[in-house]
Amino acid sequence: MDIRIHGVSRHFHSHGKPIRALDGVSLDIPARSIFTLLGPSGCGKTTLLRCIVGLDAPDEGEIAIGGEIVFSRERGIFVPPEKRGLGMVFQTYAIWPHMSVFQNVAYPLEARGLPRDEIREQVRRVLAFVQLSGLENRPATRLSGGQQQRVALARALVAEPRVILFDEPLSNLDAKLREETRKELRAFLSRLHITAVYVTHDRTEALSLSDRIAVMKDGRILEVGTPREIYFQSARRFVADFIGRANLIEGRIRDRQGDLALVDSEIGPLRCAAREGLGPGSAVTVCIRPENLRLLPPAAEEDVNRLRGTIESLLFVGEACEGEIRVGEKRLLVQMPAASRFDEGIVIDLGFAPREAVLLAP
Amino acid sequence: MRNSPRPRRDGENNRPLTLGLLLLVGGLTICPVALLLLGSFTEGLGAFGRLTLAKYRAAYGDPGFAVILCNTFVFTVGSATVSTLLALFLAYLNTRTNLPGKFLFRVVSIVPMMIPHILFCVSWVLLLNPTNGLLNLLLREVLGLSSSPFNIYTLPGMILVEALLDLPIAYLVLAPALSAFDATLEESSRVCGASPWRTFFRVTLPVLRPAILAAFILVIVRSLASFAVPSVIGIPGRIYVLASHIYRLVATGFSPDYGQAAAVGTSALAASIVLVVLYRRLTASGERFVTVSGRGFRPSTLELKGAKIPLLAAVGLLSFVLIVLPVLVLGYVSLLPYSMIPGERAFALMSLKNWRIVLADPLSILSLRNSLLLGVGGASLGMILSFFVSWVIVRVRSTASGILESLSFLSFSFPGIVIGVGFLWFFVLTPLYGTLWALLIGYIATYLPYGIRPLTSALVQIHSHLEESSRVCGAGRLTTLRRIVLPLLVPGIVSGWILMATMFVRELSLSVVLSRPGTEVLAVQILRFSEDGLWGRLAALGIVMIGISTALVVTAALVGRRRSRAFSLEVS
Repeated sequence: MDIRIHGVSRHFHSHGKPIRALDGVSLDIPARSIFTLLGPSGCGKTTLLRCIVGLDAPDEGEIAIGGEIVFSRERGIFVPPEKRGLGMVFQTYAIWPHMSVFQNVAYPLEARGLPRDEIREQVRRVLAFVQLSGLENRPATRLSGGQQQRVALARALVAEPRVILFDEPLSNLDAKLREETRKELRAFLSRLHITAVYVTHDRTEALSLSDRIAVMKDGRILEVGTPREIYFQSARRFVADFIGRANLIEGRIRDRQGDLALVDSEIGPLRCAAREGLGPGSAVTVCIRPENLRLLPPAAEEDVNRLRGTIESLLFVGEACEGEIRVGEKRLLVQMPAASRFDEGIVIDLGFAPREAVLLAP
Repeated sequence: MRNSPRPRRDGENNRPLTLGLLLLVGGLTICPVALLLLGSFTEGLGAFGRLTLAKYRAAYGDPGFAVILCNTFVFTVGSATVSTLLALFLAYLNTRTNLPGKFLFRVVSIVPMMIPHILFCVSWVLLLNPTNGLLNLLLREVLGLSSSPFNIYTLPGMILVEALLDLPIAYLVLAPALSAFDATLEESSRVCGASPWRTFFRVTLPVLRPAILAAFILVIVRSLASFAVPSVIGIPGRIYVLASHIYRLVATGFSPDYGQAAAVGTSALAASIVLVVLYRRLTASGERFVTVSGRGFRPSTLELKGAKIPLLAAVGLLSFVLIVLPVLVLGYVSLLPYSMIPGERAFALMSLKNWRIVLADPLSILSLRNSLLLGVGGASLGMILSFFVSWVIVRVRSTASGILESLSFLSFSFPGIVIGVGFLWFFVLTPLYGTLWALLIGYIATYLPYGIRPLTSALVQIHSHLEESSRVCGAGRLTTLRRIVLPLLVPGIVSGWILMATMFVRELSLSVVLSRPGTEVLAVQILRFSEDGLWGRLAALGIVMIGISTALVVTAALVGRRRSRAFSLEVS
């Protein structure tokens, strides 16, 4: 089911000061896809999720799920959460400690008044799906973090909801378990073919799990796109910076040659992929990802931008080396092969292809 | 279309519930206070007409009133001082020294709850009264004295007993503060060259000052509201304090003066409210002073060496005096026709006569029945109300729920006998006057905080996600309360119920005003026996009362232990 959000605003009062948690958000979440709301804490992503699920209600706007209006300020509609037919995985998992695994998962079916046999069968099926078969009678307090997460998922799925929502479901797991669970979740969701809304502040989670991402800031949606579009072609400085590590170089477009723009930047002239709407004279920010900066042999291809810099530091972090290279007055982050060994103070040549540099409007 | 009302947010659907509770709790707490005030300006009970200052003139113009105020001051401040010092001593020994027998401290802090205050007072009277106090008789015989060495019917006697009664509550305020104390504060003082004593007075005491003050104020509030000591010990010694003075005005003599009682009551109530507000301030800012570090630190313990045995003996003696002695004395006296020191003659005269008389006495049986009824029924109704009030306080978080919280704390400061007079003025206007319902409503109104406090703290522990996920799973609000909130709160509800039931079974100060022929309760019946000097019957009935309280408290402790186990599971 698709979700249509139109002109949604939500204001809070905190210590007498009004806060716009959501500020005129409009969004179309397509059916049968994994849609992620990504943003720093306090950007309104959780408020938006709670408005969709019905635990909170906007002050303005309209929300429709699968064509049915569940909230409308103008028409005075508010459908309570239990009538929306959704599933949700909470940040804390919210596994009820006084129930067993079976009782937790059976709860939504009991609330819908299904006969006992059917409940038993459906719970069995969903527990098999999340690979928890055999744990039916385990008290909920005796589950590991990963198991709790799967019980929460099973409970959210068991009633075959129209949409499943996730509120930072991996943030309570430790780093290694989080990585495994992320892959597992992706596998579950792609097998289910269900509409999923996922809230996170973790860019890796967002990039690896989503079909589409909406980046939020200060109660507004800044940009919506596929993970690749957001990562490689974002037009906004905040988004480019938030979605990954980036070198941001200030400059001004001097000229345009076909699909290339010549930029006078703070580290010298650069050739970058041109962008609609940014013509000669425009002030721009050039965004280069650290993994796109390569070491160049003394004489090499002509069609790359060549930068000469001094190695300020080289940090070995395991799978790679993170270098800090001073070019003019600017320090650039460079990701180099793990085997790299350079002394500090050595002068090297760096290069990047024009299409690897993205122009951002300032 | 733009002007149609905004659809209601989920939380706003709780508005009727919040407002209903606000009216109910507001009515329960404000009504008696308002009628106390109103009553103090009128001619007599039920005579609401012309307002007059006559009762205030009579109450405060009485030349004896200055003496009463003076007695009250000495009594409350005296017992607060003794109680706080004793509690500080005990708490320090428990948390900061290597004294063996630490279980004694838990006993001292919990067990006195099983012994109703009035029985504790009576047992001291039986030991130390000048005519035939057991200890006095014993000392006279052993030392060959012509007169009794002790007289309990004095201000120091009252202070001693009240201080012992309030010791557990002072201890419960001080002990957590001391065990949360960051010992590095003391260690750094020692490193700076200060002696242990200097460290204690310059570092330990100042850091603990808010907690000590809080305990002190709490004991003042309790002793101001105390009725057992002033009635059982004070009145025979003709030492009147505010509580017993009010009692004298409404319950003795030929023409009870309810207006004057109300006029006196207003000042006691005002003092109590001011003190409780002060107490809340102190405990709120106390967290600023007492430093609790998250690391699993152990406060350094003081090596007692040679002082170990005498100190242990002191603590042992104190627990004996607090717990064993009263029960022992009552049990002993219940078997005797009159007071005498233990010996051959006493054992020869021992019989179950008092027990037989009491168990056949219709009034005693009626009071037992009434108290049990009030305990069970009152605690049940009280916990139902507490459940909804706590839920609104913790989960709804609106202005109204904030007022509800303050209201529910207000009755914490109500001295029973004063608020009883206020309720009397209220019930006279209703058909409830002189029924058990009057007592039931009065009990619940006065003791509501005891039900609400444990439930709110238990509710805070339950993450709101647990309720929200139930809603998303398709359960409505009522189903969620029934299937998620209620089961998770069961341990808290059970222990709150038992605490309330214990309080109700022993309730004295409110009952003494509201109880009428036909609605006698246990504590009032005990008071009557004590006024008539029927010690043997009193003791027998008292033992029955202690038995009921003990059963309730032991159950509460067991449930409490199960709850702490359940919580530790959740944490792991």
